[in-house]
Amino acid sequence: MHVLESSAPLIVYIDVKSPYAFIALGPTLAPETELGLQFEWRPLSLDIPSYLGSAEKKQGKVVASKGRSARTWNAIRYAYRDARRYAERQGLILKGTEKIWDSRLANTAIHWVSKMDRPKLSAYFQAVYPAFWRRELDIEDIGVVTQCVAHAGVTTEGLEAFLEGAGRHLHDHLQPQFHTHGLYGVPTYVFDDEILFGREHLPYIRWCLSGKSGPAPDIAYELTPC
Amino acid sequence: MLSVYIDFKSAASYLALKPSLALRERHQLEIAWKPYQTQARDLPDQLENESVGQRHRRVRALSQRATWLKYAALQGVPLHFPERPGVTDLALGVLARLKTEDEQLRYIQAAFEAYWVAHADLNDPTFVTKLITQVKLAGALNEDSARAALTASQAHAEDLGVVDAPAYILADHLFIGREHLPWIEELIISDTTE
Repeated sequence: MHVLESSAPLIVYIDVKSPYAFIALGPTLAPETELGLQFEWRPLSLDIPSYLGSAEKKQGKVVASKGRSARTWNAIRYAYRDARRYAERQGLILKGTEKIWDSRLANTAIHWVSKMDRPKLSAYFQAVYPAFWRRELDIEDIGVVTQCVAHAGVTTEGLEAFLEGAGRHLHDHLQPQFHTHGLYGVPTYVFDDEILFGREHLPYIRWCLSGKSGPAPDIAYELTPC
Repeated sequence: MLSVYIDFKSAASYLALKPSLALRERHQLEIAWKPYQTQARDLPDQLENESVGQRHRRVRALSQRATWLKYAALQGVPLHFPERPGVTDLALGVLARLKTEDEQLRYIQAAFEAYWVAHADLNDPTFVTKLITQVKLAGALNEDSARAALTASQAHAEDLGVVDAPAYILADHLFIGREHLPWIEELIISDTTE
């Protein structure tokens, strides 16, 4: 699988542990439904400590921090506050994470659901994302990920072997391709020759996918009514 | 009143100008344009033994630049990156001292174009004096007071939680980036209708 190639009109890269991906889900699923298209959703597991440093919190307090300047901390705090207010607009709860999670299992399950029962992918996202961001899910636990897949109504027969075998291989095969091809974060949208990071590009993507009628829109976070 | 923090060397600030002015026009708004020193870095070179973090920052910087260029073309805004990011402190300091929005707007538009089209040195007193004359601002350049005004403005912005530009402050709301304009506009409308 090549990171930039798909027969779908749009590839969407996401990571369960990313708050940006969480709040981009609804706004990205909307044009998929409205335009009657099927996007290809794929995992991109972020290696956060490599570029943002790392931190661990207990009961809301930072107990360990590595490689983060005051400016980086301020930017991270703003980013979380910002993600939280947009989550609230969507009726979602977004709690800051207590640590940087290893999201590979939950992300690899995206491949499983896409392969086994693609129409249930949205249900899988609903099973895993909101609960994880309410701090109710241990996404590093294969049993928990299996429950989420089952909750979405997708078969789990063979899932564990997939997550540890072919699925893991597929996931790991994509990872080293990202930087080489210009991808670095989530959500990232790939279509035609374009690679766009962030849900602010959805107005432009919608415009492109629906025939480029009228002037091209600028970047914007599309609003869901309060 | 809406306050907008900008930096002339910030492509994101430059690209926010047109849509922010359109918002101003739609709602007959008064905007206080304020300076904020962003951190501009050279595009990182690809290193031989690049770490994952270094590669991430390089790929991100290239991607951001491509995105800015793309939307500049869509907006019809001339945007040409200088070989190395310039220092814009003195020109920002002058902005901090301007009193009226009319003066601010004339100055901002000229300063952005000087940086992004002509690659002018906005930290050079000779050039900044020329800019002041070009847009017919009252008074001469006072370098010390301009730099002091920038320091004060920067400290104030940081107290408000500003971490980048463009930053929009409306009542107790802080938004960083023009992608928030729909929400800002919604707040303006709800404030007007209350």
